[in-house]
Amino acid sequence: MATAAVSTPLKSHTGLFSSRTAGGRMPLTPSPRQRPNPVNINSSPFTPEKTTSDSKRICSKPVYSGNLSAHFAKSTSSKAHRDSPKSNIARVVSTPRKALELGVSDFTLTGTGTYTKSSSGTKIKKAAPVRQKTAKTTVTYDADRFIPNRGASSAIANAGSGKLDMQEKQRSRSVQNEPSSILASATDDAIAALEGLNIDDEDPASYSRPSPNTVAYQDSLANACGVNLKTRILQFKPAPPESSKPIDLRQQYNRPLKPAASSSAQFRRRIATAPERVLDAPGLIDDYYLNLLDWSSGNQVAIGLERNVYVWSADEGSVSCLLETSPDTYVSSVKWSGDGAYVGVGLGTGEVQIWDVAESVKIRSMFAHDTRVGVMGWNKHLLSTGARSGLVFNHDVRIAEHKVAELVSHTSEVCGLEWRSDGAQLATGGNDNLVSIWDARSLAVPKFTKTNHKAAVKALAWCPWNMNLLATGGGSYDRHIHFWNTTSGARVNSIDTGSQVTSLRWSPHYREIVSSSGFPDNSLSIWSYPTLVRNVEIPAHESRVLHSCLSPDGQMLATAAADESLKFWKIFEKKAGASAGVGGAGASGKAELSKQMTIR
Amino acid sequence: MASAGPDKDKSKVHKLSLKGSAKLVAEFFQYSIHTILFQRGVYPAEDFTAVKKYGLNMLVSSDDQVRAYIKKIMSQLDKWMVGGKIQKLVIVITDKDTGEHIERWQFDVQIFAKPKRPSKSSKTKPASPTSPSADADADAENNPPATTTTGAAPAAPPEKDKTEAEIQAEIAAIFRQITASVTFLPQLAGGDCTFNVLVYADASSDVPVEWGDSDAKEIANGERVQLRGFSTASHRVETLVSYRLAD
Repeated sequence: MATAAVSTPLKSHTGLFSSRTAGGRMPLTPSPRQRPNPVNINSSPFTPEKTTSDSKRICSKPVYSGNLSAHFAKSTSSKAHRDSPKSNIARVVSTPRKALELGVSDFTLTGTGTYTKSSSGTKIKKAAPVRQKTAKTTVTYDADRFIPNRGASSAIANAGSGKLDMQEKQRSRSVQNEPSSILASATDDAIAALEGLNIDDEDPASYSRPSPNTVAYQDSLANACGVNLKTRILQFKPAPPESSKPIDLRQQYNRPLKPAASSSAQFRRRIATAPERVLDAPGLIDDYYLNLLDWSSGNQVAIGLERNVYVWSADEGSVSCLLETSPDTYVSSVKWSGDGAYVGVGLGTGEVQIWDVAESVKIRSMFAHDTRVGVMGWNKHLLSTGARSGLVFNHDVRIAEHKVAELVSHTSEVCGLEWRSDGAQLATGGNDNLVSIWDARSLAVPKFTKTNHKAAVKALAWCPWNMNLLATGGGSYDRHIHFWNTTSGARVNSIDTGSQVTSLRWSPHYREIVSSSGFPDNSLSIWSYPTLVRNVEIPAHESRVLHSCLSPDGQMLATAAADESLKFWKIFEKKAGASAGVGGAGASGKAELSKQMTIR
Repeated sequence: MASAGPDKDKSKVHKLSLKGSAKLVAEFFQYSIHTILFQRGVYPAEDFTAVKKYGLNMLVSSDDQVRAYIKKIMSQLDKWMVGGKIQKLVIVITDKDTGEHIERWQFDVQIFAKPKRPSKSSKTKPASPTSPSADADADAENNPPATTTTGAAPAAPPEKDKTEAEIQAEIAAIFRQITASVTFLPQLAGGDCTFNVLVYADASSDVPVEWGDSDAKEIANGERVQLRGFSTASHRVETLVSYRLAD
């Protein structure tokens, strides 16, 4: 009310005055009937003050609460009148609007009815009209409060939504507001200005009110920030793009920056965990110290089954029996020569035979060992054989006096033997838990003898991309894979595999090494090097895996196990266009290898 | 300052460096936005690629939408920077759910090359069309009183002798600090944050439609940490991060 009083121009003041008196009178008048009348009277004089009108209305409502519909009708009419009083000019405009408002006000009335009921219900109907008046004033105050906010936000924007808001908030106010908002939007500036002068002074106040606040706020901010008010704070309004997925920052902070891509790509490499093919290997001797499986560069697999050596052609899928030993002995090792034309066969008697596979004829027998030859290795025309006695002999297979060197180091059965690809170094492992690394130029004593393993060393593998790197795996008591720098003799890495290591093969294409295990897992494990992360573990066989060998193209691994089966695993499958591998070696043979590497 | 002899050259250099410096600062802002988006996990780390810059591996978003968004901001920022219209650049990180401002990275820009009145009216920057060469000498004297808060004044003169490499090193140090600041900044709700870029510009500056007035998006009762700054011959940039304290 105070605001209204302050800002109402003189003209309306007179009206105001009268209305006020009327308003003042009305609450005092006890009879409910009189109230509607005063309302009407008020409405006709054009300028009832809102407060008075409000008061009347609220007063009237309690009285009429019993008869809602009638009350509604009255109140609507009264409201319509009330609107007109707002401003003389506005009234002209608002008259046509009455019709509209009637409809609208119906809405509001329903709302009002309940509201007033509740409010009136709380109060004593007749006894405290004066009190109600005071109550009314507070109500109007509330109304004043509400409207500014609303007006500031969206009154002018659209009347329709405004109505709804009003319904929710304040009916009486809503009726008054509406026309004002409609006017503001519909009529010209002059009318708006007039309105502002009269009743709408609340609205202007509401408009202006936030601005001083914000100004003050900005002032304080400006002071705080040391910015003066000539500065504008501008925001880039378009919304930033949505994040594609939730983010776990902890993960992000721990993320290694560089290797993440490569290693994760390697991680993602799909490794076939099912065997490509399974063959029976009946009669395979379950002896850790023998080496009975080898895959030639000509894509043929030789396997020693008791007294026989079978050759399985991966190209044709055909099997042929190469030889059968005399009944008093058995095959203890097989090894293809580098060109894939010959296979060396070690026997339990210590005899070593060399067979021409194409012709299926024995070329020669070499007698040097008097104990079984458990392991062999070719270096061009040199065949190294390791025997149960712990001795390793080098044979030049071209000459009659074939034994050209004795490598004395092991004191127990030699079960692992591998030449480095360039033939400069030889690694041997034995049941005496030793790993011996020999320099091909001086075979009198081993270059290094490593005692780290705590069990027999059968698994030996030279790294294809790092000539100095040798991997060795120990037996069931040891379970470790050690990696050696064979130039310095230093141990560079170790893995505890958790089970007997029966063989090790490096992938020529991936920075990975596969190990085969005996008890308890009987599995194949593929390890990344040098991260030593186990990429996959394949439960391969039902009993311990005894032997393994890689296909000449390096993609497939063959494993023979004590369950008398021979399985082929495509664990190092090369993806088309993937050149992640070790270049160089065998590049010339690639074309033919790819042709060869279909197995049937 | 005392060197009166090579005055002409100096002014020439100055003029050039003002523009170059503005570019350098704008570029710094660009990388700052990317870095903050990455470090604070506004976007997933996979969307970022490392780029060598300032002798560091700067992570820059490779998401097309984000890039386009930042590019739009930068295109306007460049203009403002060159025009000397900017006093602050602010990156506000907001919780998407509550709309609360969680973190606020503020970069204060001071421009040395501008003519300033001896009084504190350091904000009358739009008065750029005055001849910079004439005021260059006076400028050095005026700087100390003009800069109210920071102790940039004594630093101002030596800036002119700073080599490119030194500036780069200063910037690199800031980025290291931003990166390191994740250790004390509170954990953000992963993926539920968005960001806004605010600019404190002169009232007189031209404002394209994409930019609208905004409040400062200050963080109520926030903790503030002043980070390093860097300066070029014509600009000084100070970095400040404020963040909501964990409850």
